[in-house]
Amino acid sequence: MEKAFSSLKYFKKQLILGPLFKVIEVVFELLTPFLMKYIVNDGITNALNGNGVGKIVFPALIILGFCIFGLCSTLVCQYLASIASQGYGTILRNKIFKKVNELSMSDIEKFGRGNLINLVNNDTSRLQNAVAVLIRLVIRAPVLVIGSLICSFIIDVKIGFIFLAIIPIVSLILALITYINGKQYLKVQEKVDEISTYTNDGISGTRVIRAFSKENENIKNYEARTKEYFDETKKANLISALINPLTFLVVNIAIILVIYFGGDFVLKGDLTDGDLVALISYLNQILMALIVVSNLVIIFAKAFSSSKRVNYLFSYEPSVVNAPIINDKNIKIGEELFSFKGVSFKYVDGENEVISNINFNINKGEFVGIIGGTGAGKTTLIKLMERFFDPTKGVITFKGDNIKKYDLKDIRNDISLVNQRNILFNGTIKSNLLMAKKDATDEEIINSLRLAEAYSFIKDYEDGINHPVYEGGKNFSGGQKQRISLARSVLKNSELLILDDSTSALDYLTDKKVRDNILHIKDITVVIISQRATSLMHCDKIIVMDDGKIDSIGRHEDLLKTSDIYKEIYYSQTHNNE
Amino acid sequence: MKEIKFLLKYFKNSKLNVALSFICAFIFVPANLFALFFSGKAVDTFSLYLDNSITQIEFLHSLNLYIVLMSVCILLTVIFQYIFESFVNIFIEKIVTNIRNDIYIKLNKVSIKLIDTHLHGDILSRCANDIDNISTGLISGYKQLYQGFITVLFTIIFMFVQNWLLGIVVLLLTPSSVFIAYLVTKYGNKYFKRQAKKVGDLSSITLEEFNNLDIIKSFNYEDESFNKFKNANDELYKDGQKAQFVSSFVNPTTRLITNSTYAIVGMVGALLVVFGNNLYIGIDLTVGGVLTFLQYTNQFSKPINEVSGCVTEIQTGLTSLKRVKEVFEYLDDIDEGKEELDKEFKYLEFKDVKFSYDENKIIFNDLSFKINKGMKVALVGPTGCGKTTIINLILRFYDPLSGSIYMNEQNILDVPKKELRDFFTMVLQDTWIFNGTVLENITYSKPEATMDEVITATKKAKCYDFIKRLPKGFDTFINEDIGLSVGEKQLICLARVMLKDSKFLILDEATSNVDTRTEVLIGKAMDELMKNKTSLVIAHRLSTIKSSDLILVINNGKIVEKGTHDELLKLNGFYNKLYFSQYQ
Repeated sequence: MEKAFSSLKYFKKQLILGPLFKVIEVVFELLTPFLMKYIVNDGITNALNGNGVGKIVFPALIILGFCIFGLCSTLVCQYLASIASQGYGTILRNKIFKKVNELSMSDIEKFGRGNLINLVNNDTSRLQNAVAVLIRLVIRAPVLVIGSLICSFIIDVKIGFIFLAIIPIVSLILALITYINGKQYLKVQEKVDEISTYTNDGISGTRVIRAFSKENENIKNYEARTKEYFDETKKANLISALINPLTFLVVNIAIILVIYFGGDFVLKGDLTDGDLVALISYLNQILMALIVVSNLVIIFAKAFSSSKRVNYLFSYEPSVVNAPIINDKNIKIGEELFSFKGVSFKYVDGENEVISNINFNINKGEFVGIIGGTGAGKTTLIKLMERFFDPTKGVITFKGDNIKKYDLKDIRNDISLVNQRNILFNGTIKSNLLMAKKDATDEEIINSLRLAEAYSFIKDYEDGINHPVYEGGKNFSGGQKQRISLARSVLKNSELLILDDSTSALDYLTDKKVRDNILHIKDITVVIISQRATSLMHCDKIIVMDDGKIDSIGRHEDLLKTSDIYKEIYYSQTHNNE
Repeated sequence: MKEIKFLLKYFKNSKLNVALSFICAFIFVPANLFALFFSGKAVDTFSLYLDNSITQIEFLHSLNLYIVLMSVCILLTVIFQYIFESFVNIFIEKIVTNIRNDIYIKLNKVSIKLIDTHLHGDILSRCANDIDNISTGLISGYKQLYQGFITVLFTIIFMFVQNWLLGIVVLLLTPSSVFIAYLVTKYGNKYFKRQAKKVGDLSSITLEEFNNLDIIKSFNYEDESFNKFKNANDELYKDGQKAQFVSSFVNPTTRLITNSTYAIVGMVGALLVVFGNNLYIGIDLTVGGVLTFLQYTNQFSKPINEVSGCVTEIQTGLTSLKRVKEVFEYLDDIDEGKEELDKEFKYLEFKDVKFSYDENKIIFNDLSFKINKGMKVALVGPTGCGKTTIINLILRFYDPLSGSIYMNEQNILDVPKKELRDFFTMVLQDTWIFNGTVLENITYSKPEATMDEVITATKKAKCYDFIKRLPKGFDTFINEDIGLSVGEKQLICLARVMLKDSKFLILDEATSNVDTRTEVLIGKAMDELMKNKTSLVIAHRLSTIKSSDLILVINNGKIVEKGTHDELLKLNGFYNKLYFSQYQ
């Protein structure tokens, strides 16, 4: 199964070679004090005895050589790290995006869109960052610490034990602080999330906030949230500020011990003062390496929590499975296109059924209207037809076979939906329409815009169908957006056109014109969901929904006699109801 | 540099904090250096004793003295470093919190036009990600620079006091590392900027695609959408990889310089021990002296290495600071009104109002109409004729280009916006549900409302029944995306308005997404609400239009017809055509 870290497999070479090059640098660093010791002891003695300065200059030159080689190998490591971490992040983002595309709409609601967006943006960059740090820095600390330990044992076994003693103490301090702060960090993260949710609300609700003159209160609430965030970070900071001083303390205690005991050995002649110099500098090296690690701890804590979230997404089984076993087929006018047999649907964590025991069919060439109150389940019917999710009970057949037997792509190709939300994408009017038909000519595009009564305002633009569309289509009015998205669906030229309350923002006149235009499309089957009874009057079949159930099905004239609900809707709209 | 100036403003009020952190750093940095100094001295005593330069008593005496002095210094370092670290972290977080608050306050002040014309995702990322980047960059930058500066200063003094020649060696070699860091940073900046832009591109694509997955799916557009994403992602990889690699140059190259310095100091020091007193320079250096000096070199290079290690953070922080500062340059909403609003409302009048959102397309040319107290007025007209714009003008989200709007005899430009907006109650076309419980959303207009009032209002707005059916009733958590259908959100917004008692009601297609059955019921409740009130309704619903006292028919930026429903039908004009289209 796919995991957050599985994509690292593409970068095995970098993951192994990178740290290896880093180790070369660390080994050089470890050897430096040895050479320095040699300069201070043998070099000076030799020179004082008049044997020349070769033992001073030569080791110094070797150290310089080490520095240059160290730089080169580090740069190789850094290069490998940048390839591996950025490449890993790119692959992971693609995989997450693909996985999200596989989810059904009910899955997406369950995850929450904000959460999914965060997975692509924040979580991936955290993981990517952790991989970079892993290759570049992590190997350094243990190699340096262990290396220093070995060197100290080489210099003097007894002193080596002092080294051996401080390592667990310092590790324990680091582990403890990490553990405590890891928890505190989660709290901080919660507060960060709260702040961004509140900011988001504040931006989208600017008009309402100002209309209610709530700016001050709004700011006060925001400040209360930033204060909470501040208080939590304060706690985290008070703890994390301990890391540096405490490691400093432990290492320096070790230095005093080394001087004290080491001094004894020097006096006995077991140790030279040069050895002492080397030992102290090893201790200082350990100190610096540990400080670097402690600064990395937070990066890994963040990455760990991100990997959990990513793994959860990858392990998630989409609730709609695409397992096609039959091909799409052609049917004749009058043959059954869709049939609902005892269909019920309930959200996974919902308590009540959104729709229950729905039975109806739609034949090719029919005009079917669906009407009913808010929350009656009209849109749910459409989502089931598109297989955005599957029914919890009952069967839906498409062209005579269970809808599950078809390829999702075939079904969605055969249906053209004009969504209630009439969303346009960043680009141009043309690029939005091309979504429906990749190879559409300008003429086809203009024809469908005409049909949707949209061309009348588009032709006024200097750039016509190449007029830009901003994020969410916000440079168009609600009615304009509705007409463009209508044109987009018409251009798709599918067997079934579904209009989900998609003329609500149009005035009656335009609404009427659009409906007339659609009537004239050849061989088309149409499902219209509307709040307006007058928009459905001429349908071959009207399905009246009430509270998740079908109240009645029939033609306009029949329903006026048989359905109280329909009658009420119709008369409320056509007569003055006072 | 303007950014730095902007940042300094925030430090102005924290002079005490700056001073205190300076004092702490001034104690622990030298203490740290002295600890090293004494450890060198301690090692020196061994050589002196072995050379028989001092007696055993003198030796033990000075060794103990140095160890005690060292311990004192270590303790001072530990204590003051802790105070410094926690203190700086907290006070910088405080400053960042202030910036965070200020940017939000600013957003509550900027003109609506700015909010309308900027990508919401972008504003959001300035408030969240960019502020975080500033905090990270500022904390590491401030600490390292402060600490670094004092360390470097004291180390230089120490070195020169001890041995001026070695001091010069160190001093000459280190600026080159600063120079290299500068070069790399400058070169890398290009990639950083590109990377930041690509990150923005990618996140807007993600935002757009994920928010509209249903549409993508229904058009079988998943593959194309993925390709769009993949292309942006590949673009990001190219610049991201370069930016990361280039910025990772700084630290190793500065380390190269500092490590070389270490080697050179060791060599020169050793040579001085041997030849120093023979030369006419007359420098007398001991082995212990070299040791101390080597440690100073390390101490000297440590801050340089560390600063170069956080170059990426500082660079990212600066880029973000620039983006945040841009927000502060947004124009504020002008509120020049000083007069008190005449509470005794008599009429609202538009006089020759001309308006457009941008120069190219005039929405209104000479729009004039008058709404008297107690009237129920309906605005009717084809899509895009500018009905919503009228609300924008009345509530002063936008101001007319020419012409005026009067409340009684007062030009609304002369009244403070707050007072003006308090007077009206409005329901917008787009619902706004914020993250919170149903109750919080409803009582938004009146936080002190009692439960009884809330229940009455929700019953009137016909949402009581479905609220009761929600998992936790009034305490159910809702937001724009979860829990409610479009119609239900409308009803909640209506209930919100029901709570606020005001004299003038503005409804923008408030019921257009509510099914007609419910609309009838709401219509009745609305009538009750509008009793003794003036109201302006933008609606397509016939029932609302029919019951109005005055219908204003707008077309092509003008009032083309006005009157009651019956009068307008008789005119046999534009309204008549609009009305009868539904029966044809």
